[in-house]
Amino acid sequence: MPEVGDYSHGVGHGGLSVRHVSVRFGGLHALDAVELDVPPGQVTGLIGPNGAGKTTLFNVLSGLLKPATGAVRLAGRDITAWSPHRRGRAGIARTFQRLELFSRMTVEENLVAAWESAHPGAIFGRGRSDRCRRVAQVKDLLGLGRISGRTAGELPTGLGRMVELGRALCTDPRILLLDEPSSGLDVGETRHFADVLRQLVSGGTQPAPALAVLLVEHDMALVMEVCRMITVLDFGRRIAHGTPWEIRADPAVRAAYLGESDVA
Amino acid sequence: MSAYWPFVVIGLFLGSIFALGALGQVLTYKTTGVFNFAYGATAMFCAFCYWQLHDSWHLTAWMALPLLLVVVAPVIGVGFEAIFRRLVGLSAEVSIVVCLAMLALAQVGATLIWGGQERGLEPVIPRSTFKLGTLYVGWDQLGTFVVACLMAGGLWWLLRHTRFGTATRAVVDNGDLAAIIGVSGNNVRRTAWIISSMFAGIIGVLLTPSQGLDTINLPLLVMASMAAAVLGRLVSFPWAFGGALGMGVLMSVLDKFSSSGTVANIKSSIPWFLLFVFLVVLGGKLKEPGVAATRGAGASTAQAGVHVDELVHRRRLPPSVLIGLVIFAVAVFLPALINQSYLFDTTSGVLFALVAITLVVLTGWAGQISLAQFSFVGIGVYAVGHLAGHHGQHFLLAALVAAVIAIPAGIVVGLPSVRLKGLYLALATLAFALIMDGVVFNAVGISGGLTGIFDSHPCVFGVSFGSTTSFYELSLWVLGAVLVLAYLLSLGPIGRRLRILRDSPLAASTLGVNLTVTKLVVFTGCGVLAALAGTLYGSYLGAVTAQDVSWQWSLELVLVVVLAGRSVLSGAVLAGAVFMVPAFFPNPTVQNYIQLGVALGVIGLGQNPDGTVALAVQEAKRTLSVLRPRPRRQLEFEPMARARPVEVGSHA
Repeated sequence: MPEVGDYSHGVGHGGLSVRHVSVRFGGLHALDAVELDVPPGQVTGLIGPNGAGKTTLFNVLSGLLKPATGAVRLAGRDITAWSPHRRGRAGIARTFQRLELFSRMTVEENLVAAWESAHPGAIFGRGRSDRCRRVAQVKDLLGLGRISGRTAGELPTGLGRMVELGRALCTDPRILLLDEPSSGLDVGETRHFADVLRQLVSGGTQPAPALAVLLVEHDMALVMEVCRMITVLDFGRRIAHGTPWEIRADPAVRAAYLGESDVA
Repeated sequence: MSAYWPFVVIGLFLGSIFALGALGQVLTYKTTGVFNFAYGATAMFCAFCYWQLHDSWHLTAWMALPLLLVVVAPVIGVGFEAIFRRLVGLSAEVSIVVCLAMLALAQVGATLIWGGQERGLEPVIPRSTFKLGTLYVGWDQLGTFVVACLMAGGLWWLLRHTRFGTATRAVVDNGDLAAIIGVSGNNVRRTAWIISSMFAGIIGVLLTPSQGLDTINLPLLVMASMAAAVLGRLVSFPWAFGGALGMGVLMSVLDKFSSSGTVANIKSSIPWFLLFVFLVVLGGKLKEPGVAATRGAGASTAQAGVHVDELVHRRRLPPSVLIGLVIFAVAVFLPALINQSYLFDTTSGVLFALVAITLVVLTGWAGQISLAQFSFVGIGVYAVGHLAGHHGQHFLLAALVAAVIAIPAGIVVGLPSVRLKGLYLALATLAFALIMDGVVFNAVGISGGLTGIFDSHPCVFGVSFGSTTSFYELSLWVLGAVLVLAYLLSLGPIGRRLRILRDSPLAASTLGVNLTVTKLVVFTGCGVLAALAGTLYGSYLGAVTAQDVSWQWSLELVLVVVLAGRSVLSGAVLAGAVFMVPAFFPNPTVQNYIQLGVALGVIGLGQNPDGTVALAVQEAKRTLSVLRPRPRRQLEFEPMARARPVEVGSHA
């Protein structure tokens, strides 16, 4: 993989950083000077009540939305003006809160098509053996082997989320943006998902270097369990940033988001 | 300046007609989310009904007009409502295709009932003139303008100051909530369809005396009001009304410069130029209706498609390929079985199948829509006609030139697709096709005027394909080669790339697919293939006129391909077979009955947009599934967490 896997250039921590990003929808400040760092090798949490701007920020990160001000940097490089597909090829992968599967294709094809989308020349059949290896690896990791022949559109939501995750992983991402991946998953599936997430950031499932994960999630137990750092948004502003322990103790977060009741 | 006034007066007359059309279309679009492609055809059908009542049965205008507006138009409106009620919540493509089928149905229905010849209609408002300053104004012109203003005012009053208006706004805003508080969406929609049909009836009666009554040009002229409707983003009545008047005046003023030749061609294509430009410029600001509703429906579309796509990916030959192979085998032995004269017409079916493949790739695989495939065929036809026929160049050179010309044309058609989809893309491709018809294929230098031009038979590497049998075989082998190539491509990365574009362009783009490039390549590739098919089609036709590649054929092609099956190659073969059928019947009305059947079939099939091949496969599977052994374990919904403890990287 020539340019896709090559991240040695640039400065900074090699992950994704958001500096002073603002987005306005008419008079509404969907995002107001938001700062965020997504370093490699760990899961960063992004939480906030409904309408806090989490999905908007995701759309800014994946290039579906252009911010009014501010910059998005990937490994120190300013990518604010990049199109979604260019970011995809540079290693930013995402899942969607509302499933965006290739619903009329099989699970296997979803994964294969994802690999082909991210790798230059794959459309002409280049890198077939790499593709097979990576797709098999992802299927193994997520336990998708037994449903690989099924049509994605007819899967229950939990499996659909796994397919989306698998699709994102097939692009050999540097940055993985997960938008409420556990919604629609039952307890067992969520546990499995947490395991997968930990393995992903610890390396080993990836061609080096390590993966940076940004997780938007409503399941607090999951967030507190897997995230090393958490950023809290409310009304488009960053109201807190810190370790799960700090976030749990932060009075502003309690007031804005968690209510007065106990968190974990 | 005074020299322009007579043209402005005529323009206001035409503009008033467009205004009525635009208002009628905006009304139904706003309330039902269906853009009525068949609006022109409705007006035409109403005009024919009026002709029947007034000119044939000799009722006075005082009898015929109320009958038309109170009985005929409402019946048509109720019919529309009944058909589209079943399609609520389905994807935009479904209602587009069903509307196109309604258009074809009205056209072929009118032809079957009243015959194909053009008729006149006695004007309702006298055509005598009065003097306004130095200007002579026709009473009919003034009357039409006044009627348009009154109708617009009436519509405004109806929507602002009546219960119907409130109910309409409630339904448009949120149909489910409206239903909860007791506002019937169906009633509102039915009323909207009825009012819209009445507008169409009035258009038919007012326009026909000056335009003439026929099944092709009259609907097309009324359809031009689409441009005004799009200017109002399909929701704004004032913009649609003003835009329509402006467009009428603009078209009429051009008449001052020349009423024949290129200027006249451009003039009559102005609405389509405007439509194309509006769509490209307004681009992202245009919204598809009922996105939420469409989402839910995506699942049902997906269900229908499930079986088709599954088939493509089994190792053994899927039934759809077998069906295609059987038809192909029969076609190979056809020359030995049938008469030469039949064989000649059969060739047309083969060539239609070739063009149909481009539509399958574009529509069924890549999820785009094109109402302009025969414009590309036209490029091929005329390239061969001029180069190989007129200038005596080699056939292959002509084909190459056709392919090269088709590239920029494909990019032009593809450009709107970068920002538009569904309805707006359909409108843009329609506009492109009608511009090609009006400006390019109608230009005497290109089409050779009324007599047309002559396309020669190909002679490749010393082998002449002049005889009926050899030309048939050439066409058949080209079709076979393209089918095999397309099938192989569909299994590989290219096929997957197209299908992810169809299933979720959003996800595809975040995964790294450049949507702009992909769409342009698809449109261009399909355009080039259609142009190459056109080179053969021209040779088949021999003498070609502009009618042979007109938009009507693109329309017919879309309907037949949708009916046959737009997501599988067998659908294209079946579509070709449908086009062959008239060849075996001496009576030319058979053609009409087939068109009638196709239109009815598409309307009836509405809910199953994957066509008969998919339907047949589904049925066969369901029937045969009773013979399958019972599965030992139900794997379907086993929670995957229990699937296995995860070991990472060990299989890498």
